Amino acid sequence: MALQGLEIRQSSAGLRGTHTGIRNLPIVSKYIDTTICIGCKACEVACQEWNDLPLAQTEQVGTYQTMPETQSNYWNLIKFREVEPVEGFAWLMRKDQCMHCSDPGCLAACPAPGAIVQYQNGIVDVDPERCIGCGLCESGCPFDIPRYTVGSNKMAKCTLCVDRVEVGLEPACVKACPTGCLQFGDKSALLEMAAHRVGQLKADGFVNASVYDPPGVGGTGVITILKHGDHPEWYGLPKDPHVPTAVSFWKKILHPIGFISMAAVLVGLAGHFMAFGPKKPKDFSGDTGDNKKDGAA
Amino acid sequence: MTNGWVDIKNADVVLVMGGNPAENHPCGFKWAIEAKKTRNAKIVSVDPRFTRTSAVADIYAPIRPGTDIAFLNGIMRHAVATGRFHEEYVKIHTNAPYIISEKFSFNEGLFAGYNAEKQEYDKTQWAYEADPKTKAYSVDHTLQHPRCVFQLFKKHIDRYTPEMVEKICGTPKDQFLKVADMVTSTGNAKRVGTVLYALGWTQHSVGVQMIRGAAMLQLLLGNVGRPGGGVNALRGHSNIQGATDMAGTFEILPGYLQTPRAELVDLKTYLEKVPPKTLNDEAWASMNYWQNYPKFMVSLLKAMYGKAATKENDFGYEWLPKVDGNYSWMYIYDDMYRGSSTRAGGTEPAPEGFITFGMNPVGIGPNTPKTLAALAKLKWLVVGENYEIETATFWDSKKTEKYGGLPSAQIQTEVYQLPCAGFAEKDGTFTNSARWLQWKWKAVDPPGNAKTDQEVLARIFLAVRDLYKAEGGALPEAVLNASWAYTNPASPDLGEVLKETSGKALADIPDPKDPTKILVKAGEQLSGFGQLQADGSTMCGNWLHSGVYTQAGNIAQKRDNADPTGLGMFHNWSFAWPANRRVMYNRASADAEGKPWDPTRPGISWNGEKWVGDVPDMKPDAPPGQFGAFIMNAEGVGRIFAPALADGPMPEHYEAIEAATDNILHPKVTSNPVSKKFKSDKDLYGKKEDFPIICTTYRLTELYHYWTEHTAALNQLQPGFFIEIPEALAKEKGIENGGRAKVTSARGSIEGVAMVTKRLRGLMVDGKPLWHIGFPIHWGYQDDPKHAGPLANFLTPTAMDPNTWTPEFKTFLVKLEKGSGDGTPRT
Amino acid sequence: MSEARAHEPHAMEAAVSHEDAVVGNEIVRHKLSSRLIHWAVALFFFGAMFSGLPVWSPVFGWMANIFGGLQVCRWLHAWLGVAFAVSSLAMFIQWFRVMQFDKSDKKFSLKFYVSFSDDEDPDVGRYNGGQKFYFYAAFLGAVALLASGIILWWPTSFAIPWRWAAVILHDVSFIAFFAAMAGHVYLSTIFEPGTFESMTRGTVTKDWARTHHPRWYRQVTGQATSKDKEL
Repeated sequence: MALQGLEIRQSSAGLRGTHTGIRNLPIVSKYIDTTICIGCKACEVACQEWNDLPLAQTEQVGTYQTMPETQSNYWNLIKFREVEPVEGFAWLMRKDQCMHCSDPGCLAACPAPGAIVQYQNGIVDVDPERCIGCGLCESGCPFDIPRYTVGSNKMAKCTLCVDRVEVGLEPACVKACPTGCLQFGDKSALLEMAAHRVGQLKADGFVNASVYDPPGVGGTGVITILKHGDHPEWYGLPKDPHVPTAVSFWKKILHPIGFISMAAVLVGLAGHFMAFGPKKPKDFSGDTGDNKKDGAA
Repeated sequence: MTNGWVDIKNADVVLVMGGNPAENHPCGFKWAIEAKKTRNAKIVSVDPRFTRTSAVADIYAPIRPGTDIAFLNGIMRHAVATGRFHEEYVKIHTNAPYIISEKFSFNEGLFAGYNAEKQEYDKTQWAYEADPKTKAYSVDHTLQHPRCVFQLFKKHIDRYTPEMVEKICGTPKDQFLKVADMVTSTGNAKRVGTVLYALGWTQHSVGVQMIRGAAMLQLLLGNVGRPGGGVNALRGHSNIQGATDMAGTFEILPGYLQTPRAELVDLKTYLEKVPPKTLNDEAWASMNYWQNYPKFMVSLLKAMYGKAATKENDFGYEWLPKVDGNYSWMYIYDDMYRGSSTRAGGTEPAPEGFITFGMNPVGIGPNTPKTLAALAKLKWLVVGENYEIETATFWDSKKTEKYGGLPSAQIQTEVYQLPCAGFAEKDGTFTNSARWLQWKWKAVDPPGNAKTDQEVLARIFLAVRDLYKAEGGALPEAVLNASWAYTNPASPDLGEVLKETSGKALADIPDPKDPTKILVKAGEQLSGFGQLQADGSTMCGNWLHSGVYTQAGNIAQKRDNADPTGLGMFHNWSFAWPANRRVMYNRASADAEGKPWDPTRPGISWNGEKWVGDVPDMKPDAPPGQFGAFIMNAEGVGRIFAPALADGPMPEHYEAIEAATDNILHPKVTSNPVSKKFKSDKDLYGKKEDFPIICTTYRLTELYHYWTEHTAALNQLQPGFFIEIPEALAKEKGIENGGRAKVTSARGSIEGVAMVTKRLRGLMVDGKPLWHIGFPIHWGYQDDPKHAGPLANFLTPTAMDPNTWTPEFKTFLVKLEKGSGDGTPRT
Repeated sequence: MSEARAHEPHAMEAAVSHEDAVVGNEIVRHKLSSRLIHWAVALFFFGAMFSGLPVWSPVFGWMANIFGGLQVCRWLHAWLGVAFAVSSLAMFIQWFRVMQFDKSDKKFSLKFYVSFSDDEDPDVGRYNGGQKFYFYAAFLGAVALLASGIILWWPTSFAIPWRWAAVILHDVSFIAFFAAMAGHVYLSTIFEPGTFESMTRGTVTKDWARTHHPRWYRQVTGQATSKDKEL
């Protein structure tokens, strides 16, 4: 939910910017090093516990993964994938959650003013009070993250523990991570750390290692180290994510067209009236009704 | 652990074998990750399954379950053949130059001295040879003598060529060589490597020998005693190290002192026979720290019997129970089941009652039907637990029928469940794998009538003592003379117990350097085991833990994270036994002159007057060269050849008791010749013809033993039992991922969800494909029905290691079929 | 005028159900049920529009206040949409027979119609070609709005690409519908005086009928030619 203490950079369905420009907060980011994630799921439980999310009903279906996808009440899920690169075998584990895009597709798609906000520090958050439960955010997200809660009709997703971050704590998942594959801090510093780690991986022969911080969405508030950076899809990440064309087309093209055409119709009709109207019935009062006139036409 | 958790960060190579720390020790494993991040260290994972450790390892090599000895011997052969071992270290710090008796031999899979009838070795045939002149050890520092340890060792491992390793382990040669090259890259002064292992080594019929292999490898590479090195056992439970230290098994007293045997009739005999001795004390300069054994033993007796223990009555030695049979727990259940004890003669009756705290015999023992049948023969059973565990309801045939449990009507055992506090509901210490005794504070009160373990035990003890006082009984002295000097006898304060464990002076202790001064005043806490006395003037419950509670207070509560060494030693954080030493055998971290092998990672170094750095594992002012680096070994050096174990001085590849294939090294001796099988009608062993697939069992990050099956938050993360099956095998059997699979061993069969995976693959063993599958152990019949699963140990055999009697849970034989869907285990 | 006032009640009564009845100077154009359905469509359309526009764009956010806020709009819009679709269907059933195109409709020219206010095609019947086209277009629009609306109503039941398509279809069809509806209102109110009464009273004047729908006029007043009947 929108916190008073945090400066808002942009807000869904805002007519004008809600950005006050008073305070200058550094962009924060979560750092995920998939190369040292051991898939222990401590982050999953920490997320549930901090955010008071209920226990999930799961069943064993032949995987180590807790459930197929994140849910409206399960925001943090490690995805396990077995892949076979050209040489050898890899069991990839990536913690999936809201990526806190710099250009959030959910925010772009959201029609409810202030229901989705992006704070100055980059965290993308939902205000359930303003969320109208239309679910459009789901179709705006290139990472398939926002979840519509059937019943309460509210969208929910990872908040990057904004309530913790606001008071100077790291997100719960980061706090719980035993290996340090999760870090939190200023994005610029984390990007430096990431570059160093990628350098190590490249020196170790993983020439395609990279930092996943996709420019298509202006970069993300969750940066991810991938050993196989040329294959983000192996980790369940889109190769070049961007706000979906349909959403951009809708917001950027269809909306103006709509406004213009609606206005044009009204103006046109007024003009038409001035030019031609009104078209009053003719006065046939002297006519006996014999239809002469009609026949003549 | 010889070293410690934090110390792993100092390693250049982390060999993980027989363990899966990423899953089972995730918090400790962070130090391996730290090494990777800060030193660009390489993690090597050798495992039958591609685990979550393998997922973050730099090198992974598959291995057939149970063949780790061949693999380790192969690495050592590679090290010697390519010269990639630390020769200087080997010469000064190991027994490589020591000459072994002429009687020693190794032929066709058997070492000298084998008694086929008893299935035992006569270990005297593996002894060191005495020098004719000095009567001390005969050594050849050139390592050329044909009977010196180095030559015997070289000959022994010479058979384990990369090709042979591939034939036995199924590890493709190129992958084996990658591992061998990486591991042996630490065979020098510049680099250090560590070995992490856990139950993946201990739970084999050759488990101790696997660990021996690792110890030899690390000595050969010069990695023992050095920061970032060592042989590191990752203990399975938060306090299992503490349990072992405090006499967790029948053959030891606290501090690894030996439990007296019947022939050691009095203290004098005991102290003559038990402590290790050098061949000739006068001619051999050795610290042989065990020469202080009498001090430890007498102080222990004083702690046990207080004022009643006097010099005249051997400090109550007579009242200690003497063992003359095997009381490890598989034998206890065997006794129970057969109705007689394994004591000499076998005529003693089996136990009629049983008290179990903090364990779940039905879950943790192999061959569940035998355990159930054994418990059913008891008159009474007391279970102290915070959940109603499987053992507490073993009589309920509705639950146990499918595991071969008897009908409830036929069971006369009276079961008492005592509600006990959970770990967070009591204070006390945890001793972790790094030997750190860390005090923990109670987080919440136990619910309802639940009591702490010490209160339950104290109340039983006081009631029994009252009965003894009133009615007398067998050996009353042991009970009536037991010291019980606690402020609240019915619920001893664990701080007081820790004080007792750490030890105090009962009389003024004079300073040995200046007898006119008093070192410790009567009644004061001792500062360490160096102050213990053999005359009854000190008491100490466990010499190894001495120093944990001094005049300065409870050292286990120290939480100073200053690290002046920069090596993660944290000397002011808790207390590490022995003597707050963080790296054991740290004298070996320096060369003959006392200079550290690697000045950037010094363990200790000689500054001309004394040893500085870590707490030295050496007399602090003994100049280099005076004593050998391994002060707990009488000969003073590390053992590449260990004439001490039950099944040989050097590890040899044997197949599991349920052997999946012939032993290609020596077909006549397939399995460990010293590992005994049980002979009751419930002890069934499968043959490879009937059960062609190897099966292994393991644990998961998300769950803890048989305990968290009661914890909903963890059940959601791993919602139920599953069987991991290689893709090609599943295809052959028509089993689909998420479908049902049925696994059958000679003991019974269980069913579960199939997890068809690429992480397990069949291996080519001596030209033939061999499959292995596996499943985790965490379920039973007392868990949440939504997350229920079968008892994994229903399928495991009563096979064991001959040194520790640990069951062989990691390698047994099964057959695999598509499941029928009803999921019922069957005998 | 007094005469007209005198027979007025009669025309209103006839207008309840007797379409095409000629009462004095008036002709019944829309019976009561048709008018009710029409107004239901109109009411639900405007309801849906005003509750939908604030969701569409914050520019119209103020409209949400009419209904009690955007949260209310989210569900009310859906139900108004259903009501709109249902009444549109009723209207379709009511009128689709009389809205069948005939030969004379080929001559219909929107340009001519809107720009030339005098002589109209003498063959224009009860409804001109533009009205018929508008009738079908409006129905199609309603179907499109309903179909896309259902997807948007229960987003979780549909795959994301369907939801993208729904958003765009809902918008495009609304914009088209809005334009058509605006034209319809304009034409039937201020542009053609006398038309609006056909949807209120249900009647039109003879002059109106004769001006805008000559053939229909001829038919209801009994002056039809054989050619009229063919059509």
